[in-house]
Amino acid sequence: MAELTHETASGAAPMELGDVPAADPAEIRALMEFYDERGWTDGLPVVPVTESYVAEFLATTASDPDEVLFAVPHLNRELTVRLAAINAALAGCRPAYFPVVQAAWEAIAQEPHPRRGIWQSTTGTAPFTVVNGPVRTELGLNSEGNVFGSGFRANATIGRAIRLALINVFGLHPHQLDQATQATPAKYTACIAENEEQSPWEPLHTEYGLDRAESAVTAYVVRSVIHIEARHTQLPEQLALDLADTIRRTGALIHEYTNALLVLCPEHARVFAGAGWSKEDVRSFVYEHAVRPRAELAAVGKDAISHHTRWRLPASHPDAMPDTAAGSDDPDHVHVMTGPSSVQIVVAGANNAGVSAVVEIFGLAPRERPSSYSRVRAGSATARSSSS
Amino acid sequence: MVREALLDPTGMDERAADGTLAPRPGTLRGLTVGLLDNTKPNATELLAHLGAGLESRAGVGETRLYTKDYFGTPVQEDLLKQIAAECDVVVTAVGDCGSCSAATVADGILFEHAGVPAVSITSDSFLMPGRAMARLQGFPGFEFLAARHPIASLDSDELRRRAEELLPDVLRVLGAEG
Repeated sequence: MAELTHETASGAAPMELGDVPAADPAEIRALMEFYDERGWTDGLPVVPVTESYVAEFLATTASDPDEVLFAVPHLNRELTVRLAAINAALAGCRPAYFPVVQAAWEAIAQEPHPRRGIWQSTTGTAPFTVVNGPVRTELGLNSEGNVFGSGFRANATIGRAIRLALINVFGLHPHQLDQATQATPAKYTACIAENEEQSPWEPLHTEYGLDRAESAVTAYVVRSVIHIEARHTQLPEQLALDLADTIRRTGALIHEYTNALLVLCPEHARVFAGAGWSKEDVRSFVYEHAVRPRAELAAVGKDAISHHTRWRLPASHPDAMPDTAAGSDDPDHVHVMTGPSSVQIVVAGANNAGVSAVVEIFGLAPRERPSSYSRVRAGSATARSSSS
Repeated sequence: MVREALLDPTGMDERAADGTLAPRPGTLRGLTVGLLDNTKPNATELLAHLGAGLESRAGVGETRLYTKDYFGTPVQEDLLKQIAAECDVVVTAVGDCGSCSAATVADGILFEHAGVPAVSITSDSFLMPGRAMARLQGFPGFEFLAARHPIASLDSDELRRRAEELLPDVLRVLGAEG
């Protein structure tokens, strides 16, 4: 048998079977079943975590293990650095990923909805993070082909580290405190990196005043990732209208307004940049065209808003009041976004086709920017993060 | 071979349990009932029907309507104190979504701990988050009422019937004779 070899999945050099480690199958099974029985899982097997393993994660941060990263007061629950580390290890992160996980939590903690119970809600939103800067290549975060897909440990496990802590620390088990009607596949994991190398523009984190050489995590609360097929055009106006058409779909409108993260493939980004459009130009154009005729909103019963909840409902409803556009100079054309900054832009995906995505960002009240970020700090306490 | 214990990833130490209900008044006759509206559709009208039923059936002296600023989280401390100062018992509704059902149950527990007998009303589609919240609040046995789902889409007559169905249990939880 000694001459038998097999190809590894990644196509790396053939490995001698004799090099494969041996394990106790009964113990592996017992550990998997233990976590499953406790409910300490998202449904997939988790990595068993012991004190010496967590110590390796905690060694990557200057923060005190008891420092609280994120609290939900009405649930009486707090996530400490130590609990974030245990859940990152459980999710399959390498210790070196932990500074990114910590920055993700620091960004999530600045978002308005997570601390107010949005992840208990029927709406079924998920945390979604974008990583920028050198840490992407240091950790092997995928920013190219299959950027929303499977196959990359750093993306898969950093996103999962957030989910597992939400389940374990905040008790957000489905059918219990998490009452999502359907939710989204992003609830397993949703972490992408920006393809800064193939973007014609400066990367996302430079919009916060950070240097390209710094690393940062931006957190969004998202409902959907919708793909845009636009392989046919080199005209920036056509492409931007195609994007705006998806953003203004009536099904996205629970409230008066929506927000979107455009995840542009490199080819689409170049359609814009090649025509001289900046990211701000794309934002402004998309915002201006994220408009629906009032009659189309009336046709689906979303032409007014509720006094109580400010959710969209029919103008004939007893609780209805006019929406903001009804009091404007142009009441029959309803903007579904509050301004250009409701449109966020990153570049990600392979440089091989005109396929992009609109990530729908959940939001109630208008905000200057529908996301928050935090710098990735490796091993030392440097400048603190700030809200955007 | 070094063997180490697996770590608990929840940090869920047993919270100091406080499963004590506020003292019951025995009768609601002449008392002031607070109605806490969480702003969900039809909550105001359901509470109004319940308030009218408590007046006609139990001789309640007065009902006062209060409104939460956000349905998804428990009542703010200022409003909690105000209601506790102004009312003898409280009814809070309606938990018919993921976050507001849990928040409605948390409200009831907060009022009980503040010494005010309370009835939390959710819809029966949201029993589980209500129970999960009661456990998190250290009061796993807290009794709340689950009205037949739905509430939000009912018309006025249907809401009146829902209130009629709920009234005997409201009186029972408040420890009052019907």
